[in-house]
Amino acid sequence: MNNNESLRQLVHDARAPLNRISMNAELVKLVLENDMPKDKALAALDKIIINCQQCSEQLQKISDTHSGE
Amino acid sequence: MLNVLLVDDDSEFSEVVCHIVEFLGHNINTAANLAEAEQWFENNTFDHVFLDFMLPDGSGLHLLEHLKLIGQSPRVTLISGHPSVKGKLAEMCEPNVGHLVKPLQREDIERVLNPKKASGKKKATPSIKRHFGTLIGESEVMQKLYTMIERVAATSANVMLMGESGAGKEVVAQAIHNATQCDGPLVATNCGAFSKELIGSELFGHEKGAFTGAVARKEGVFEQAAGGTLFLDEVTEMPIDMQPNLLRVLESKRVTRVGGTKEQAVNCRVISATNRTLTDLAQNNVIREDIYFRLAVFPIDIPPLRERKEDIPLLAEAFLDQLNDENGTSFKWQASQIKVLEGHDWPGNVRELRHAIHRAFIMSDPKGSTITLPDSLESPFSRVNKKAEANNQVLAGQTIEEVEKELIHATLDKVQGNKTIAAQMLGISTKTLYNRLNAYGGIGEYK
Repeated sequence: MNNNESLRQLVHDARAPLNRISMNAELVKLVLENDMPKDKALAALDKIIINCQQCSEQLQKISDTHSGE
Repeated sequence: MLNVLLVDDDSEFSEVVCHIVEFLGHNINTAANLAEAEQWFENNTFDHVFLDFMLPDGSGLHLLEHLKLIGQSPRVTLISGHPSVKGKLAEMCEPNVGHLVKPLQREDIERVLNPKKASGKKKATPSIKRHFGTLIGESEVMQKLYTMIERVAATSANVMLMGESGAGKEVVAQAIHNATQCDGPLVATNCGAFSKELIGSELFGHEKGAFTGAVARKEGVFEQAAGGTLFLDEVTEMPIDMQPNLLRVLESKRVTRVGGTKEQAVNCRVISATNRTLTDLAQNNVIREDIYFRLAVFPIDIPPLRERKEDIPLLAEAFLDQLNDENGTSFKWQASQIKVLEGHDWPGNVRELRHAIHRAFIMSDPKGSTITLPDSLESPFSRVNKKAEANNQVLAGQTIEEVEKELIHATLDKVQGNKTIAAQMLGISTKTLYNRLNAYGGIGEYK
């Protein structure tokens, strides 16, 4: 895999947790706007926190892989 | 309520999208790869498919191909983190395929599932008249066409539609069907799409066990169109040795299924279509004379788009309105862009215009309201035609400068001297155009 491809793959992998964060945040909004049970919102917020960690790890990977270039 | 299928290998993402889509009042199922998605389509139909572009067992585009093969056409929204997919989509120009870029938002999902509601505004009245519910255009040639449709609709005569590819033969067939106000359906079939062995079964139907693979009885299109209209597209591409069977049905108004013995009465109008010219028909022996006279009791020529350029603004407006409605956007044309569209010859006719507009729509900035036309509207077909045209005009011995000058002047003439549009059409910068004009001895008449 050349550098460009590996960078593209890493960016793709970093986008996945961002996508989950975005959708879970939308779910929290839905719960709050519609007075739905708050456990759904709490579960979604937990997922957002986990995915923030994952995203951070992915960004670190990008930085490690490409800092030497 | 829509039936939605989400195809994505990210299970957590799928789960949360399910919650949101269900909250929006729709049914949703999920597939983690292409194989699972194809399995869903074996016994189900879906109104909308959210489709990840990169799946573990292939690209989302493979599912689009599969849907075509099995004859299903749900609206599809490709989801991708790759902006390059937009370019791919533009090439495909599929009218029912949209695109969203990750990360998604709830409004995106809402908008694609319910474009009209999400757009928040409905037009009071449609401003563009659709004659017979389908045809757009107020040009003189179209008015003549409308008169012909009215006249023939009052009779039961068979009609043959002739016109170039993309001129709208199927739309005219629909218009005649609508104008007839019959009780039966419009059934369309493409005679060029079936092998010699299958076309008999497609047209006339077959009885169970009539041939290997005939596991059940099947109605032919003549039966399906009872009391309505049968549209035989590309009729001249039908194998010539099958034509006597068709002739018999047209003459006797009775049809017998393949492998059957019982005759059934046929009571539909037959509208056939070909993109071949009359000379082509006569010279190349593609249709038997007796069939031609049965089918073309009332032949109608559909004018190519270049002969009704005054209709281009209306068509462009209608196509853009439709795309805006479907996608909840509010793009508008600028007068100069309409001029560019009018300046093109559209060898692929209305179909090519529609595809060019859809491509421009996809390429436009979704946050803006101005549509972005590509630098060149040329398609492979227009290039071939232009080359042929140029071959007729360019004379051996002319210098490159002379040819270039003629081309630039011809382009400027076409766009009433507008140098910005001319430069766009020529694929050069406005500055280069000015430089060239100066080199030819001043800007002169194009000042």
